Amino acid sequence: MTVIVFIILGLILIILQATVLMLNPLWVAAPDLYYILVAYLAYRFDLVRALFIILPLGWMLDTVSGVILGTYPFICFGAFFLLRFMSIKMPVRESLYQIPLVGVSYLVVCRIVFVILDFLNPGTLVPWSWPEMFVRALLIILLAVPMFRFFEFVNQRLLRSFSSFRIMRVRSGNRYR
Amino acid sequence: MRKRGTRKSSRRFRTFRLVLLSGLLLTLVLIVLVSTLGSQKFGTFHKLAFETTGPFLKVFSGTTRYFSKITDQYIALVHVRAENKRLWDELQVCRASAYRNREAVATNVRLRKLLDFKKKLNLPMVSAQVIGKDPSLWFRTVVIDRGTSDGVMKGMPVVTDSGIVGQIFSVSPNYAKVLLAIAPSSALDVLLQKSRVRGILKGTGSLTCKLDYVLKTVDVEKGDYIVTAGYGGIFPTGLPVGVVTKVVKKPRGMFQEIEVSPAVDFLTLENVQILELERSFAE
Repeated sequence: MTVIVFIILGLILIILQATVLMLNPLWVAAPDLYYILVAYLAYRFDLVRALFIILPLGWMLDTVSGVILGTYPFICFGAFFLLRFMSIKMPVRESLYQIPLVGVSYLVVCRIVFVILDFLNPGTLVPWSWPEMFVRALLIILLAVPMFRFFEFVNQRLLRSFSSFRIMRVRSGNRYR
Repeated sequence: MRKRGTRKSSRRFRTFRLVLLSGLLLTLVLIVLVSTLGSQKFGTFHKLAFETTGPFLKVFSGTTRYFSKITDQYIALVHVRAENKRLWDELQVCRASAYRNREAVATNVRLRKLLDFKKKLNLPMVSAQVIGKDPSLWFRTVVIDRGTSDGVMKGMPVVTDSGIVGQIFSVSPNYAKVLLAIAPSSALDVLLQKSRVRGILKGTGSLTCKLDYVLKTVDVEKGDYIVTAGYGGIFPTGLPVGVVTKVVKKPRGMFQEIEVSPAVDFLTLENVQILELERSFAE
């Protein structure tokens, strides 16, 4: 259930990003909300459930954006594994570092993906622009806190509804079965 | 015996006093009544009574007036509030209506232009609406609300009354993705309208394009119009593409560096036309 809800949430974020937040096809100040969701999944979800959410998220992004299929799954999985690795293996798992880390990882992952895509498909991508990417990273950092809170709220509600369902379940008297 | 006689005389005296007092009062009342009703004169008694009741009247009426004023003001305030709310609601409705009307007029003008363009071009076309924009900084595409069920195929040209928008890049039954002419991966076969020299128009990702493969020997000037060449069979010939905004002839190399401003305003793209040409790029 949590997986389905978060997939729907991801879809809504993509739709928001491609419609309301993009005022024109060249608009820069549109936050990559999907990336915040990926970061949240990396920090809070277990591997299997997170991958089940990220895979359709990447596909959906590929359909509304870009001309090279696989770009977004590449970004999403790259970001997910990078953040997960950093949060487990490095001292940056403290929540104080988590938010700036989202922005920094965004720049790192995007740069790596861009270099690879540009190498494989020369002349297909709009030239890399640091100011524009910094604007996007800044927007991600600014929105990460409220978005994380919102995702946490949704996740907690889903967990609570599940636990109440378990309590309501009628059990048989046979304890040894 | 003597005591009983004294008591009897005092009772008689008291009765006499009472009768005398009553008679006197009655006489006074009669005098007042007769004098009042007879001469209709506002006498001393009246004045005295008037002066006595006057201040009470004044205070009472003042107090009443004060409270009445407060009540009136409060009621008026309630009415004013209700009236204010009603007028605000009315204003909101009027504003919304005016906004809708303005929007309808703008849409009408836009669609009329597209219709005129459709009639002028006399080619089979499908109208579509832009429903999404590429959120990425690296690509320049838009999503439209027409797909294969409307006859749209990959490679079909997308235009507006102003000129070339791009090409259908990918398509599903009801939706399609359009690669904009300003995208770096877009390349259009075009002509300089004046000199009829051919070139390839490539997007830069910004609001300008560059015209490649135009020899230095060709006379190109700022303000020259660029139109579609129509050689590949994808675009019909002569559709407006843009205007030359900058020409640079470097000492090295064979070709000129030509900057072109697209004819279409990509920032306000809402409705587009898809030219249903027989041969699509995919075929």
